[in-house]
Amino acid sequence: MTTGGLVISGWGAVSPDGIGVPALVDRHAAGTPPALTPAGDPPEPSGYAYAGFDPRRELGRKGTSFYDRATALAAVACGEALRDSALPLTDDGDRSRVGLVLGTTLGSFKSTSDFTRETLVQDKPYLVNPVLFPNTVMNCAAGQAAIRHGLRGVNATIAGGPTAFLSALRYADNALTRGYADAILVGAVEEFSAHRAWTVHLTGPDGSSRAAGEGAAVFTIERSGVPRRGAHHDAEVLAVATGFGPGPGGGADALAACVRRVLARVRLPEGEPSLVVSGEWETGDRSEYDAVVSVLGRRPRRLLPKSLFGECDAAHGALGLAVLLGLHRAEPERDGTVTLLTARGGDGAAAAALVRGWGRGGRSRG
Amino acid sequence: MPRVVVTGLGPVSSIGVGAEAFAAALRAGRSGISPITSFDTTGFPHDRGGEVRDFEPGAILRRIAPGRWGRSSQFAAAAGRLAVADGRLDLAQLSPERAGAVIGTTSGESVAVEAVTAQLVAEGFSAVAPDLLRQVPASRLAHAVSAELGLAGESLTIATACSASNYAIGYAYDLLASGEADVMLAGGADSVCRWAHAGFFRLGALAPDRCTPFDRDRAGILTGEGGAVLLMETLEHAQSRGARAYAEVLGYGLNCDASHPVAPDRASVAECIRIAHRNAAVKPSEVDYICAHGTGTPANDATEAQAIREVFGARMPPVSSIKSMIGHTMGAASGFGAIATTIAIDRGFLPPTVNLTVADPALGDLDVVPNQPRPATVRIAQNNGFAFGGNNAIVMLGAVR
Repeated sequence: MTTGGLVISGWGAVSPDGIGVPALVDRHAAGTPPALTPAGDPPEPSGYAYAGFDPRRELGRKGTSFYDRATALAAVACGEALRDSALPLTDDGDRSRVGLVLGTTLGSFKSTSDFTRETLVQDKPYLVNPVLFPNTVMNCAAGQAAIRHGLRGVNATIAGGPTAFLSALRYADNALTRGYADAILVGAVEEFSAHRAWTVHLTGPDGSSRAAGEGAAVFTIERSGVPRRGAHHDAEVLAVATGFGPGPGGGADALAACVRRVLARVRLPEGEPSLVVSGEWETGDRSEYDAVVSVLGRRPRRLLPKSLFGECDAAHGALGLAVLLGLHRAEPERDGTVTLLTARGGDGAAAAALVRGWGRGGRSRG
Repeated sequence: MPRVVVTGLGPVSSIGVGAEAFAAALRAGRSGISPITSFDTTGFPHDRGGEVRDFEPGAILRRIAPGRWGRSSQFAAAAGRLAVADGRLDLAQLSPERAGAVIGTTSGESVAVEAVTAQLVAEGFSAVAPDLLRQVPASRLAHAVSAELGLAGESLTIATACSASNYAIGYAYDLLASGEADVMLAGGADSVCRWAHAGFFRLGALAPDRCTPFDRDRAGILTGEGGAVLLMETLEHAQSRGARAYAEVLGYGLNCDASHPVAPDRASVAECIRIAHRNAAVKPSEVDYICAHGTGTPANDATEAQAIREVFGARMPPVSSIKSMIGHTMGAASGFGAIATTIAIDRGFLPPTVNLTVADPALGDLDVVPNQPRPATVRIAQNNGFAFGGNNAIVMLGAVR
């Protein structure tokens, strides 16, 4: 549970539709996912990938030769967030008080599996490519993005799967509140690969059309009590809570408890939160909404990122917040409204956050 | 601000399962290194590692079914259960939402990922078992602990590679010190796996048969495994239930090299030591012992020694590496370091750096507690953890006053 008082001062996102905010807003307006990209030759399952993603075009050749896709997506999203928030650089490019917290499921499943595959198929089991070894470690993306952007503060990778982004937000919240950093880039990344496409295909309900997606979204957060001159005020993170529900059905109870805890932290106007961004697939899926309705006693509207991007696992919650803030930036009439973000994992994990969003209309918002 | 203490230890290691066995092995300077059996080492020039040979999850776990969880989750949950037993914590007396689990890891459920890969190599993706895919997410390490112990507070897996346990202990400390929780289980877990063995070998960082930190002729690491979990609680909570506190957590420091994916960075490590000291309100002259990252690679041990010298100057405390006994247990490593440090404080001896034949003259007068444990009064100690990705994390522990 947070002490509150965090501000999002900028953000960046990469989605199947490309880099940046307008793509997210357009996708939301379309209300459907983009065209499917095959993970390989049929009968390989397909999914929602950013097919035109060219890491070298976005990031240049220097230092990027051995980036895997997840690392490249994260590095681009971090760059976008830094630019959008105009976080100042000291002269030597050292951001020793700027941290990075990234959510993941298991790092790059493809990088790790491909590396261990080499130990099985090569003439000698040790004939792996050593420069690819760091890509098997789950903190690869956060470590490389830190190198690229000179982020020498608190650097953490949170393995949470469906709850990864909100858990990363909670971790970053703590690090800022405890004074370990002045600003933190917090986000989550998931790459499209045959490994993830097959995982979604094989572990989903029988006969479902669920498909894997990919993306990364990263948010610059700072403490609101120590305002940086010129800092944007895109959103306030009013509260974040994560928890666990041991035993069968515990996850729903844990989510209800998280929702109660974030609501208890702030006094909201009647009718707020007016929107829920959840990890559900479609409106008939009430695996999170039932807990929300039971606590709120009413039925706020829902925004369902999975209906736009497919199964993005760890990146899902981050993309959801990016869509929300994209809408705030595009539609000034949303200024000051409060959204509840929810997430549930298969094993009993749950998380919730309250966010109040703004456009960039130029008004002072103390 | 609430003070935070360690009241229970749960090591599941190659040199002993449970606090008593682990402490006795540290004192004896035992080696947990043996020929690897968990994967086929045919074709590998080196075949030794620190496997937990006598791990029987079914004998320790009471609530979760081991077969539904991967090996690393089993290590984490078993270590958590042992820590609770060691601390004589009555779980029925807890407020579940005031208790949580934070587990660090490098490779998560690496054994499950390797099994998935073997299946897809043999028969293609379509033949991969869905239940195996469900074991793959690394978040399950912390969830296994929460499910085993019935904890409803935060359940977080931190994947910052080989310093991840120190991150976990640090985050748990924050939750306790800021009043968010009463009790936390924190540490790390990892499993010996084929890909790490191959990767370290190809980096030229895998020792042939022994891990010899700080030795002139040190040749690298040996991969190890296990679960290392500490029971942590607020001093007030420990006192209210009459628990004995082994040590106090004084604070911790984190930073990031942001310079190279695998090579350690002296200046950055030194800065991390200073951050940890500052956060714990400790002066270098007060530190009685450093439990080193001490992997046994030429680069790590030299860089770590230089960073220590930079901060401590002429008055360097004794520095030892328990990796000489258990190998490099990856995400569990700094958890085992924290357990060993707690034992050093509580039982009054420094664990040795075993296998030392010729001290490295390049390390100068660094006292590495060679080969024999040493009686000592440890009031304040420092537990180092460094990692790929430049993720440095250092935890400061002290005697309870």
